[in-house]
Amino acid sequence: MKAQESFFHQRIYPLLFMFLVTLFCILLTAGLHLATQERATSNELAFTRRAVLQAGGVEFVNTTAGIEEAYQSSIEAKNGYYIATTKTGTRYVIPAQGPGLWGTISVMAGFEQDMKTFSGMAIVSQNETPGLGARIEEPWFTSQFAGKQAPFTLVDEGSNSGTNEIDAITGASRTSEFFRNLANKVAKDAPSIIGGK
Amino acid sequence: MAKNQIKKTFIEPLGKNNPVFVQILGICSTLAVTNKLQNTMVMTLGVMFTTALSSWTISLLRKHIPSRIRMMVETMVIATYVIIVDIVLKAYYPEMWKQLGPYVGLIITNCIVMGRIEAFALQNKPMLSLIDGLASGLGYTYVLLAIAFIRELLGTGSLWGIKILGSWWTNWAIMIMPPGGFFVLAILIWIIRETLMKEAKK
Repeated sequence: MKAQESFFHQRIYPLLFMFLVTLFCILLTAGLHLATQERATSNELAFTRRAVLQAGGVEFVNTTAGIEEAYQSSIEAKNGYYIATTKTGTRYVIPAQGPGLWGTISVMAGFEQDMKTFSGMAIVSQNETPGLGARIEEPWFTSQFAGKQAPFTLVDEGSNSGTNEIDAITGASRTSEFFRNLANKVAKDAPSIIGGK
Repeated sequence: MAKNQIKKTFIEPLGKNNPVFVQILGICSTLAVTNKLQNTMVMTLGVMFTTALSSWTISLLRKHIPSRIRMMVETMVIATYVIIVDIVLKAYYPEMWKQLGPYVGLIITNCIVMGRIEAFALQNKPMLSLIDGLASGLGYTYVLLAIAFIRELLGTGSLWGIKILGSWWTNWAIMIMPPGGFFVLAILIWIIRETLMKEAKK
């Protein structure tokens, strides 16, 4: 009983115990982090490169190796943009960022040689509402930009017809508006970004 | 006797002591991740892994943890397991990791994990605590999957990302948003309490 109330048990032992538990946990997680860091970094790089390929309309196999191979053979990184060489011509891919409903949306926007017509659009990262705004990642949404020109106007989901009409996402009007603004902005900036070469 | 106890420990969290619809624990994640079956599955696997192993770990240490700092130790152990889940997802399932975003980290604050440690693991042997943690995770899993099933089907007309209902179906946007989670969970709890658990209440 006396030992329980001693200074060591009251003050030192809890400190020491917590210190050891913390040390062990930190070593474990830090070790695991370092062991997988290379993999995580290459995953992240593959995400960005896949977006460049999609926006430029380059065909690729959707595996880390496939993305890497297609990227090396047909993409050339320039200052602030990429040049994609495809079977159907050369395209420019510009990275762009803009506000979304919950966080930043970052995309790769692909342009034909006239620097006005979109060749494709791909999402690099976004934090929109899953199932609603996050549907901007779905192929039907991003693919509708191909062959169209800014400035875009939003129409009801499933009803776009003109060359500057884009389907909005039902239930995600705000995200759709943010995305339209982002697309319009990158289209406006495209000639000066590419022209700066 | 021992076998009975194991069976009881395993069965209780699945039925009459279910963490979600009896103890009403872990509601935050119940509402947040249940609008898609796939996300829900990964999230619940993470919770199961965390509850089982942190209960086991704390139970191993239970005689050595000074009681005044036990909460700190518990949080540290839970956080470690959750970070392991996060790191593994990030390295091997990056697409899933991107979709779940901050929710994996939020397993740390899931009350089921700490609730089971406080209520069970501190008083019981490691193996029994492991079973209790696993069963609690399982009880959480099937309730969440049921909710996700209803929400994904009504909200997007699909299941596991595959379109089930035809073009005649109008998506219920409310089901995808957090309020949809409240509605489905409340209705589910109500139905279960009124039918299956009626006798337990008396």
